This record gives sequence, structure tokens and C-alpha cells, in this order.
Amino acid sequence: MPAPERSGGLKRFLVRLPLALVGAVVIWYLLRAVYNPALCAVTQFVARTYEVPPASLIMERDNDALIGRSDLRADSGWLKISLTQIQFNLVPFLALVLAMPRWFGGGGWRRVLIGLMVLALSHVLALLWQAKCYEAFSLGPWSRATYSDFARNVYGGLRYFFDIPVTFTLPLLLWVWAFPERVFALAGMPAPAATR
Amino acid sequence: MSALKAFLATPAGRFILRYVVILSVGFLVLALRPVSQRVVYPYTTFVAHEARIALNLFHEHATVTGQVLSSPRFSVAIYNGCNGLEAILIFVCGVMAFPAPWRGRIIGALVGFLAIQVFNVVRVVSLFYVGIYRPGWFNVSHIFVWQSLVILLAVVLWLGWVNRYARARA
Repeated sequence: MPAPERSGGLKRFLVRLPLALVGAVVIWYLLRAVYNPALCAVTQFVARTYEVPPASLIMERDNDALIGRSDLRADSGWLKISLTQIQFNLVPFLALVLAMPRWFGGGGWRRVLIGLMVLALSHVLALLWQAKCYEAFSLGPWSRATYSDFARNVYGGLRYFFDIPVTFTLPLLLWVWAFPERVFALAGMPAPAATR
Repeated sequence: MSALKAFLATPAGRFILRYVVILSVGFLVLALRPVSQRVVYPYTTFVAHEARIALNLFHEHATVTGQVLSSPRFSVAIYNGCNGLEAILIFVCGVMAFPAPWRGRIIGALVGFLAIQVFNVVRVVSLFYVGIYRPGWFNVSHIFVWQSLVILLAVVLWLGWVNRYARARA
């Protein structure tokens, strides 16, 4: 009888999920003091690797990112954006993982680690596109002289893509990728590995 | 390449492919300026009015201007990303991509849409009161807790719908 088994697995998952969410929020609330400055530093490094002169500035202040340029006047303006909005999707990812019983077994911890690294990479890119959009749209004549209309469209599209679709769906896709058999079992579908 | 083909030959693989395609198209459509102007903004204003009605049940004397929900005690602006459309899209695309009869998909999509709507109003109202009584907690509640909850709600609703449908078939 597959249905009761499936239903029991789902029930266990649903019972664990609220507690897993609390755990994920606590873990992330504690870790963000380290993660946010690292995110800004890595993004600044990536931004500077392909610009001449390397002048992008991305700094962390009270869980916000301050974005500017070192080759412009100090009063030319800074963009302040919430880093929480960029990296909050680690919380649903961790919650979905922690809600799976024995998630760390069978190499699960390794796949979770890879999932976290992919999410971190998406955060770097999300922050990078925010910085590029700020430079391309918000610095008046300097923006118009430095960035073409095409570049503005590309950066605008990338910012939307990483701001909404990636932020909201990547945790789900990584969760399915990390535990395909168990996630599809929750949904009552034959898992890819089992039918291969 | 053969591993990918083998994966896509499975029901789960075909579901994932359909889901990613439908979801990508959905997000692309939502990003189009005419859709944004004629659907997303009016929908966000509608969410603000729903929250206003709920707040006024508690005698908040709330009003809506554009997408800004205000009372004499607090104001919040409801932006794209806070209107629940992403969770609705995640859920509805999951329902549409699943190999179920169309009647089941349409009923599932409608019920899920309504459930996420109600949940989103509860979210906006609760954030309003967090803003009044615990403004220091607003950012954490808004993003860490409620945005995560909205994503998880979409997953839970989808799992519930699939299990109910799958059990009906079994």
C-alpha cells in the first residue's frame, strides 16, 4: 500500500517543518554577521576583476550593502540595499533540508553543502547586478557616458532575474536536486534514480 | 547526455522540465512592462485594499494610496515581491506541470491561489502590527520569517494537492 506510506512521510515532514524553519532562522540570524561582510567583499572583488580602473566599492553596514565608486566624488551618491533581501532564501532552503529526517546521511550533507555554495554564488551575482545597475542607471552623465542602452537593458534584466525568479525558486530547485528520491516520494512520484 | 535523457524519460524528470519551462515563462511574462502595469500593479493595489479591510476590522482607520497602506499609527508600502505573486506562481506552475486531469489542476490552482491570498493578507496585517509594536523586528519578520513562510506555504500546498490527487488515483 504505497498511499499510507507516502502520507506518513508527508505528515512527518510537515510536523518537522515549523521547527526546521525556526532552526533555520536562528542559524541564519547568527551567521549573517559573518556572511554579510564576506558577501560584500567577494562581490567587490568580482566586480573589480573585469573593470578598468577597478573602482567599485561594496561595503557592509548594519546588514545593508553600500554601493559606490572610489573614482567619483564622495558626494556623488551611494546606493544602500538590504542584504537580507538578497540572502534570505537560505532560510527556506535550510528549513526544507532540516525538515527531512536524516538529511545528512547517504552523502546528503555533501549535497547540502554544494547547494549552499550555489546559493552563495547566486547572492554574489545578485549583489553584483545591483551594483552594475546602480552604475548604469543612477549616476547621471557618468552612467550615460559609460554604459550603452544595450548594457543597461542587460543589467536591468539580470537584476530582475536574480532579484525575483532566482531568489524565490532556487532554494526549491536545490532542495529537489539534493534529495530527489525523498522529495518525489513526498509527492508520490517514482524517483528518477529508481526508474533509471 | 544519456544520463539527462534517462532523467527526462522518468515521470519526475518530465515534471521538473515542464515545471522549469512553465515557471520561466511565467516570470518572463510578469516582467513585461504591459503586464506589470496592467496586472502586477493593480494586483498589488488589490492586496493593499484587502489588508486595509482586514485592518479596519480592528478599527485601525487604514487607507490605501497607490500601494501604500497607512493608518494614523503606521505605514507600509507593498512592493512587487511582497504581493504573494511569486508564491502563487511557484504553486500554480507546480500544479500545471503535474500530470493530473485538467479539472484537478484548475481546482487545485484556484484553491491554492485563494489560500495564498488569505495567507498574504495575514502576513501584511501581522507586519503592520509588528511595525506598530515592535518596529525593530520589522525587517527580520518581513524578510526572514514571512517571505520564507510564503515560499514554504507554496511547497506545502503543492505537496498536499499532489498527495490528495495521487491518493485518489491509488
